[in-house]
Amino acid sequence: MDIRTRRPLAAAAVSISLLMVTAACSWSDTPAVGAGGGGTLNVAGPIPIENLDPHGAASMDGGTQLAARAIFSPLVTATGPGKFKGDLATKWAPNEDATKWTFTLREGVKYSDGTPVTAQEVVASFERVLAAKGPLAGNFGGYSVDAPDKKTVVFTSKTPDAAFLGKITSFFVTPEKAEKKGFFQKPVGSGPYKVSSFEPGQALKLKPNADYWDGKPDLNNVVFKSIPEVSARMTALKTGEVDVTWGMPDDQIAQLKSDTNLSVDAVPSPGVNTMWMNSGTPALKKADVRRALWQAVDFKSIVESLYPETGSLADSVVSPVVLGYAKQQPVKYDPAAAKAALKKAGFDFGTKLRFQYSQPQFRQFVEAVASDLKKAGVKVDPVEKEQAVFLEDLLAMKWDINIQQIGSQGFDAATNLGRLYPCAAKRTGYCNKELDKDLAAAGASTDVAERKKLYAKATKTIWDDAVGMYPMFVEQPYSWRKTVKGLKLAPDGMPTFADVKVSE
Amino acid sequence: MTQSDVLVAEPKPEPEAAAPVRRHRRPLAALPYVIIGIYLLTAFFGPMLVDYDPVATSVKGRLLPPGSETATGTAWLGTDGVGRDVLAQVVYGARTSFIIGIAVVFLSGLIGVALGAIAGYFGRLPDMAVSRTIDVLMAFPGILLAIVISGLLERGMHVVIIALSVGGWVGFARLSRSITMSTRERDWVDAARIMGVSKPATLTRHIAPFLAGSVIALATIELASAVLSEAALSFLGLGLPPDVVSWGQSIANGRDYLATAWWITVFPGLALTILVICIGLVGDKLTRRYTRTRD
Repeated sequence: MDIRTRRPLAAAAVSISLLMVTAACSWSDTPAVGAGGGGTLNVAGPIPIENLDPHGAASMDGGTQLAARAIFSPLVTATGPGKFKGDLATKWAPNEDATKWTFTLREGVKYSDGTPVTAQEVVASFERVLAAKGPLAGNFGGYSVDAPDKKTVVFTSKTPDAAFLGKITSFFVTPEKAEKKGFFQKPVGSGPYKVSSFEPGQALKLKPNADYWDGKPDLNNVVFKSIPEVSARMTALKTGEVDVTWGMPDDQIAQLKSDTNLSVDAVPSPGVNTMWMNSGTPALKKADVRRALWQAVDFKSIVESLYPETGSLADSVVSPVVLGYAKQQPVKYDPAAAKAALKKAGFDFGTKLRFQYSQPQFRQFVEAVASDLKKAGVKVDPVEKEQAVFLEDLLAMKWDINIQQIGSQGFDAATNLGRLYPCAAKRTGYCNKELDKDLAAAGASTDVAERKKLYAKATKTIWDDAVGMYPMFVEQPYSWRKTVKGLKLAPDGMPTFADVKVSE
Repeated sequence: MTQSDVLVAEPKPEPEAAAPVRRHRRPLAALPYVIIGIYLLTAFFGPMLVDYDPVATSVKGRLLPPGSETATGTAWLGTDGVGRDVLAQVVYGARTSFIIGIAVVFLSGLIGVALGAIAGYFGRLPDMAVSRTIDVLMAFPGILLAIVISGLLERGMHVVIIALSVGGWVGFARLSRSITMSTRERDWVDAARIMGVSKPATLTRHIAPFLAGSVIALATIELASAVLSEAALSFLGLGLPPDVVSWGQSIANGRDYLATAWWITVFPGLALTILVICIGLVGDKLTRRYTRTRD
């Protein structure tokens, strides 16, 4: 009989402890700071790190790219639109028609296990990318790679590709043993840090790589924590459990600004909130329908209310900081016209559109969009998915509307438009031979003015055919504790921490 | 037939006789009943008076404090992160909580009492089967089972009801089994058996009525825990689809605004707390009454 009276208490205790566990499971113990060292930097970005393999299905995922920049080395890094800095490579040059790119590797670069980086491994890594057929491989269709000698790598394309440098910034070199099973549980790379432990989606702990070619980083430990809950992340920042975060929602920024221990700043980013509409589903096949749906949403109010600090209404598919940006005629909010257009196009108002998103930061945005679409009579079913499931479904086209923030690696439209919109990419369900031709030509030309013109034409096609809705340009907000020095605000939300110092 | 009716009717007046005396002594004792009554009225009639569409948002009127004027009237309890009325969420959430709570208690009570009574009365194999199933289910915390089930199935109200009932019937079954086992040995059951009353009839007519009091007491407590578990599931984003309003969901929505817009979390949270406490008080009182008089 006793058990009966205790049940509500037990149930309450169980549910409360469960809630606490779910909230707290993302934290893990911070390693102790070694005496006389450079301290520990605790980082909690908005995207969890699920996978350390920079070549496979997660190759373009924000979390994987962030981790890859700390663990592995790219050949070159982008510093601005059309500007690059050498990393593994010291010199690079295209041939006349940009079908051959020759890279000279830096002398004496070693992996964190002491073995030297060879041209053969660059070749093997690149072939691994192509074989994996992941999102990154979409950048390099028709490419082959060769290493004529120990420090030279030659990338050959069937078609001219002037934007190759922008694309190759997301390519990271791994040692030959990357082929082995389980390598990416604790990978070895030539980046500024090496992995000391990794729990997918939970925590990634790094130690400095003493053999890093650009000098051993000052920090003793870098810990990437996953704190998906925004309020928990903000609290962690305020209490000092986390030293750096970024990508926080606008509602939190005012509060962070009032905290004297924190610095807050934002940089214009190449990110655009992009809502593809799956042209492959029967309901969204017609461009008229997609345009009408776009017209039915009052993006101006949504952006102004939800993102007063970091958002602005988009007027193109790529952001103004990207090479290839071309201003378009904004789509005007007109629910009545939208409804009429939907009726005219024969849209079936009975279909429920699956609207998928993965990060909680999009929740309110998605709800507001769903509300506006409902006013036009369109039923939408918002589904929040876990990042890994989201990615899988995204590639498998198991969605009708998808929202994510899409950047342009290397600040070049080739890595966005050229990668995602050709028929062969199979990412949006949209296929237009004319667009394919323009994108191919833009990717092939070495003449910057010509490329800009072609991307403007391609952007207009994408915009007018409403392959997606393009509601918002994003600024990337960062907040860090004042003890953190030397943090460079990366516009793409994937900062590197090689030069960061922490004063205690 | 008439004889058995008499047998059943006889012990009934006993438990009710003790009640009026206690009620007179403590006037405050009626408070939980009054509050639960108010909740029930709100859950039943509230949605007819307050208009609310969980899908409709108005981002221009977001995060308004309680008492603010909005485009559609006064938001007495403020608005949430996308401009939806918190008062309406509390009212509609009450209905969701009661529908799920009552359905869970009804379903798990029905299964639990049936299985428990059969196990207790027939013994042997049926008892073995039911008891071992109970043991297995008791090995898991109920909420964990519910999380697994609602995580595996498509979202929907029926899924939440099933998920919570899977663990919920165990309590009813254990209670019914033990009462049945002791009642089975009483004289009137022997008498019925000797007179040739069939086993199912003995079970339903001569034993089941003695389960009523304790089962009702347990049901109130189970109701409180079902309401709480439903809120916990919704808080975790499991079970209910986003277009069904639930306190747990509202509380979860306000998590990011605890420091700036406390009203989103606090009012649904208060509504949940007060309801669960009141049901718990009533349940404790019923338990005390029925356990005291039976032995």
